[in-house]
Amino acid sequence: MNISSFESEFNKIMRRDYFTSHVKPIREQAFNNFLEKGLPNKNWEDWRHTDLKPIKEIDFRLSEISDAPAHELDITEFGLDDVHTIVIYNGHYQENISSVPSGVRLISLADYGDQNAWKIREPNDSPFDLLNTAFMDSGFCLTIDKGIQIESPVRILYISSTEKNIMVSPRMYIDLGESSSITFIEQYEGNCNEYFLNGSLIVELKENSRMSHFRIQNNSVDTVNIGNIHVQQDSASHYTFNQFACGSRLGRLNLLADLNGKGAECFINGLTLTNNIQHIDNHIVTSHNAPFCTSSQYFRSVLQDRSSGVFNGRTIVSEGAEKTDSKQSNKNLLLSKGALMNSNPQLEIYADDVKCSHGSTTGALDQDALFYIRSRGLDIVSAKSLLIRAFVSEMIEPIHHENIKSYIISKFDAWLNENTVQ
Amino acid sequence: MLDIQDLHAGVDNKEILKGLSLNIKPGEMHAVMGRNGSGKSTLSNVITGREGYYISKGDVRYKNESIIEWPPEQRALAGLFMSFQYPVVMPGVNNTYFLKSALNAKRKHNGEKELDAAGFLKLIKEKLTELDMDTSYLQRAVNDGFSGGEKKRNEVLQMLTLEPELSILDETDSGLDIDALKIIADGVNKYRSPERSFLVITHYQRLLKYIEPDVVHVLIDGKIVRSGGKELAIELEEKGYGWLES
Repeated sequence: MNISSFESEFNKIMRRDYFTSHVKPIREQAFNNFLEKGLPNKNWEDWRHTDLKPIKEIDFRLSEISDAPAHELDITEFGLDDVHTIVIYNGHYQENISSVPSGVRLISLADYGDQNAWKIREPNDSPFDLLNTAFMDSGFCLTIDKGIQIESPVRILYISSTEKNIMVSPRMYIDLGESSSITFIEQYEGNCNEYFLNGSLIVELKENSRMSHFRIQNNSVDTVNIGNIHVQQDSASHYTFNQFACGSRLGRLNLLADLNGKGAECFINGLTLTNNIQHIDNHIVTSHNAPFCTSSQYFRSVLQDRSSGVFNGRTIVSEGAEKTDSKQSNKNLLLSKGALMNSNPQLEIYADDVKCSHGSTTGALDQDALFYIRSRGLDIVSAKSLLIRAFVSEMIEPIHHENIKSYIISKFDAWLNENTVQ
Repeated sequence: MLDIQDLHAGVDNKEILKGLSLNIKPGEMHAVMGRNGSGKSTLSNVITGREGYYISKGDVRYKNESIIEWPPEQRALAGLFMSFQYPVVMPGVNNTYFLKSALNAKRKHNGEKELDAAGFLKLIKEKLTELDMDTSYLQRAVNDGFSGGEKKRNEVLQMLTLEPELSILDETDSGLDIDALKIIADGVNKYRSPERSFLVITHYQRLLKYIEPDVVHVLIDGKIVRSGGKELAIELEEKGYGWLES
């Protein structure tokens, strides 16, 4: 997609009158800023190892009314049948099969903007946030009031059709009031050939609130999935993020968490499985801006064939963020000689009294362990499976929610079945 | 049971075994003793099929079949077992799961019904008692955080569970205190039968006080230079290896 195709799609969305007029100047400003910056290239420090060719070489178009489903959708194949689900199909909200539990207020972007007199956070950290603002065409806002605990998880399910070249730009806001809590799942599914999803999610956790956030990225392997997540945490709030990614040709997660209040906790985890020519890039920045905060970044990848990946994790401890406790760990398993991983855990510390650690390992399966297992009578495929399973189990085992855990295990099993070879 | 004929083998173009012959009959316990570097590890690795070793001459026959082209799992399924000198630590691999998978692979190979979780638990608990091991073992990862003695006990536990016909005990006494040594020796002795054979590979005579060998071989520079009864082990303890060197 070159600049002129972005421009023509932008003109199209500006002509869509069913969006509130408030959004027009916001789009315009973001698009102008995007034009100034352009798409990232490999000279940009944060994009050194990621080639955006899958975006650049295809002309994506906005989703049209005709891309909405003709019949009512059946979502049982996407598992997790005990959760409340909001369904978005090719960017179109499927109200008839969507629901949220009581205590969660689900409102449109327009209403959310009105309620906040259009003083809403518009992230502009990266060109993809700007693109999301310029093209936002779907999305929602979830608000949970002070003191409300939501027991049933809420899922937003993005499904893409077999239609080609669609570009979808969801914008999501989640506001958690003081001492409230929720489990939230983003799930990406679909069997499309070419599809570009660029979503921005803005999360605000008020004092003492808790959010357990899952991101299941299981798009078809021909898609582009860019996720821009911005988390703001007040004091004593608790945020846990678990990503399971095995989909998309090009996947990039930009997760920026700001720990702004004393004693906030932020645990960010990711398990990535890739094969063929997939490339998945996890770019995580945790900023400690207040004292007594705890954070971790744990990421593991298993790479088969000529697939590649990036872990770029940064933890910034600002001046005054004393008693910070922070850990970073990235471990990668290369199942073939052609697989490539770029691992770059970084610490930036501007405070004195802190406890920070980081580590990274990348390697093949342990030959001694393979021989040990085979010497007990298990064949080489079983031996490899056993070791790969052990490698990922530390990421999957700690998941508390049994249904989510078993869904992830089923996806992992299917992957392992296809990818463990002699 | 095991017949090794004029075996020449090595690693990276360096010949380590230089014409080794050894014949173990059913029910026999053989000990191969030698100093570091004499070829003990190469011998056990070649018998069990570890990759990276070459065989330039000779043969290893198990139950009258040449096994040198067999992958390690095929040898294991045929009834061969090695208690490792350095058991591998495998974080994230649960002991119960591992041993149950191995046992069921073997049962399947033998045309027997695979054991379910309850059946396996009953079996493994008996073996644990025999080796004076705690049931907490079942929840732990394979050798992860195990002391030297625990690792060796785990090897013998695997042996008792998988019921091999030929067991190679590679330096099983190293890292064991005297109490653990006695427990392991008891376990091995009870496991002895007219159908089962053993090859004990060791540097010292210590273990042989508790597990009495039928035949003792002395390995020097890749060859067996002397074979005899258990008294040979005692002689080696007193005199060292020097008097046998040419």
